[in-house]
Amino acid sequence: MKILNVYRSEPDETVKKLVEIVTRDRESMSFDLNVEAPDYDKLVDMIFEADQTISWW
Amino acid sequence: MEYKKVCLMYRHEDYAVDGIRSALGLAVENMYAYGVVMDTELPPFDEHGMETIEMLRDMEGDILTTVPANVEKCDFTAITIEELGEKLREMTHIIPYGIK
Amino acid sequence: MAKSLGIFVTTESCMKHVMGITKAAKAKGSNVKVFFTWKATHLAKDPAFPELCEIADDVSICVDSYKKQGYDIEDIPKGLTVKKMATQAQHGIIIEDFDCYLSL
Repeated sequence: MKILNVYRSEPDETVKKLVEIVTRDRESMSFDLNVEAPDYDKLVDMIFEADQTISWW
Repeated sequence: MEYKKVCLMYRHEDYAVDGIRSALGLAVENMYAYGVVMDTELPPFDEHGMETIEMLRDMEGDILTTVPANVEKCDFTAITIEELGEKLREMTHIIPYGIK
Repeated sequence: MAKSLGIFVTTESCMKHVMGITKAAKAKGSNVKVFFTWKATHLAKDPAFPELCEIADDVSICVDSYKKQGYDIEDIPKGLTVKKMATQAQHGIIIEDFDCYLSL
């Protein structure tokens, strides 16, 4: 199970805690959408590679 | 056939009620649908709101909350952040709904 | 063959991301479906919305949300048809039938 965590804003303590539990003993990657010019091409590749994508607030 | 398990999470009052409606929409489509109200205290639900929750529960879904006041006022099921994290591990789809 | 991608949009300030991700996915040969609900139905009035309807394989909005956000349901956004003024069932289709899922 490979999880992609996408962050739409700076993750707070709640998000960090949930990510920690959800990704425990699982492979994970992350992508920061909260930047001036996100690399959408790379994001789509990561979405296709992941078994599950979670787009956090 | 394996049924989808979906958890929608709401952290902003303006998105919670519609997000609960979204959860009900998925339950109607034969999915296990859960909604979780976090961070925000909602006003008591009206009769229509309560019916929505009852319908969701009848379809083996639920509305949960990390906010104790919502358990009292809206009859949501209590859950801690740690328990929510464990529950999310069972889901096929995890949806942080709206904004925080 | 590229995986299919369903995008469920609930927020108002993400049109740039919806467009960027849809374009990138289409360039890889993906089948892309986008569904807008609740406050995100305001994006149906975004200047980029008609272009999104052209490049994505399927775009629809929740008509009930659109009405609740103050729009007349007879006022069909440019790029959509009456059939695409839809229900939450569209979200169900994204979850059931698409390889990959993204919420924004």
